[in-house]
Amino acid sequence: MKIVLKGVISGLGRLLSVEIPQGSVILVTGAEGTLKSGLVFSMISNYLAADGGHGLYVTLEQTKESHFKNMISLGLKKSDNLQIFDYRDMRREWRDCDLDMIKLTDEVIDFYRDKHNDLTFFALDSLNALYSLSEESNLRMQMYHFFSNLRERGLTSFLIMEVPPLMNPGQFQDRNRPEHFLADGTIELGVIEDKGGVKRYIQISKMRAAKHAMEKHQLMVDENGINILGPIY
Amino acid sequence: MKRSFENQPDMNESQEDDYKRFVDRIIKNNREIFLLTILLDKQMCGYDLIKEIFLKFNVFLSMGNVYPTLYSLEEDEILRAEFSRGNMRSKNYSLTPKGREIALKNIEEFVRAMDHISAHIKR
Repeated sequence: MKIVLKGVISGLGRLLSVEIPQGSVILVTGAEGTLKSGLVFSMISNYLAADGGHGLYVTLEQTKESHFKNMISLGLKKSDNLQIFDYRDMRREWRDCDLDMIKLTDEVIDFYRDKHNDLTFFALDSLNALYSLSEESNLRMQMYHFFSNLRERGLTSFLIMEVPPLMNPGQFQDRNRPEHFLADGTIELGVIEDKGGVKRYIQISKMRAAKHAMEKHQLMVDENGINILGPIY
Repeated sequence: MKRSFENQPDMNESQEDDYKRFVDRIIKNNREIFLLTILLDKQMCGYDLIKEIFLKFNVFLSMGNVYPTLYSLEEDEILRAEFSRGNMRSKNYSLTPKGREIALKNIEEFVRAMDHISAHIKR
């Protein structure tokens, strides 16, 4: 089954020629301020508002309230079917214990799958925070199982990952990391400076089983939300 | 050292394993009922609820299930959550008037269902 994403963000059809398979695990990478959270939040929320189903957005970096406030400030709307979950209470009350955040996240997903049998989307904000809160030993193996579990549950998943800003034009992000091999797709976000000033861009560098454009496209946010314009170059 | 839990009957080791397995399954599958039962008497945070269930039944409910359950019950206005004065570390949950009514009704139905099942399988 395919997930119809092309129409959920204005201009996304410029990047995706066909829809992505349900259960794909997609990395959304970029430096800070490149709209990673906003793009994922917006794609899921707009999809749920138009097509139904439920989504789960797990935030490890912010509280549910501050994340929601940020999204509102960008003019993004939240679908009632999108559940935002944070670990604030758990981490405060169990602060003397080492929490297995990967296992906990799996359990939280299972809870919401039991609650909503049409849970379609999962988002994790961010993979960096999950790594920093997890035991380093055996992390690769744990992540392999985490990615596999997402796929087996049929959840189309967006895993947000912050990466350092690229210093030189044409430079590529470090794709030698395990999450890049494990993911079905990678969406890169960034900023680029040219004669026209500083522009935000979006680029799909990988998307298994979905034909896509490779060029960097301009990304804009206005009162109507996020829009994808034509190629930057 | 063998640890005894509240109202646990005397058993040999094999009986105890089976008993534990069933209690574990019943509590995990009906965690909402057990959380509501505890909250009938006093307000508690997620940490204390997990501890209380462990002390009563020797069953460790996972945090990844308990906290989303509490959040869902709060969204449904069955529970209200508040920080206790001077302690911003833990959020205490208590039943709303509507929640108390629902909890009492659900607990009664749960006990009735368990009694009915017990009566039919007892030899």
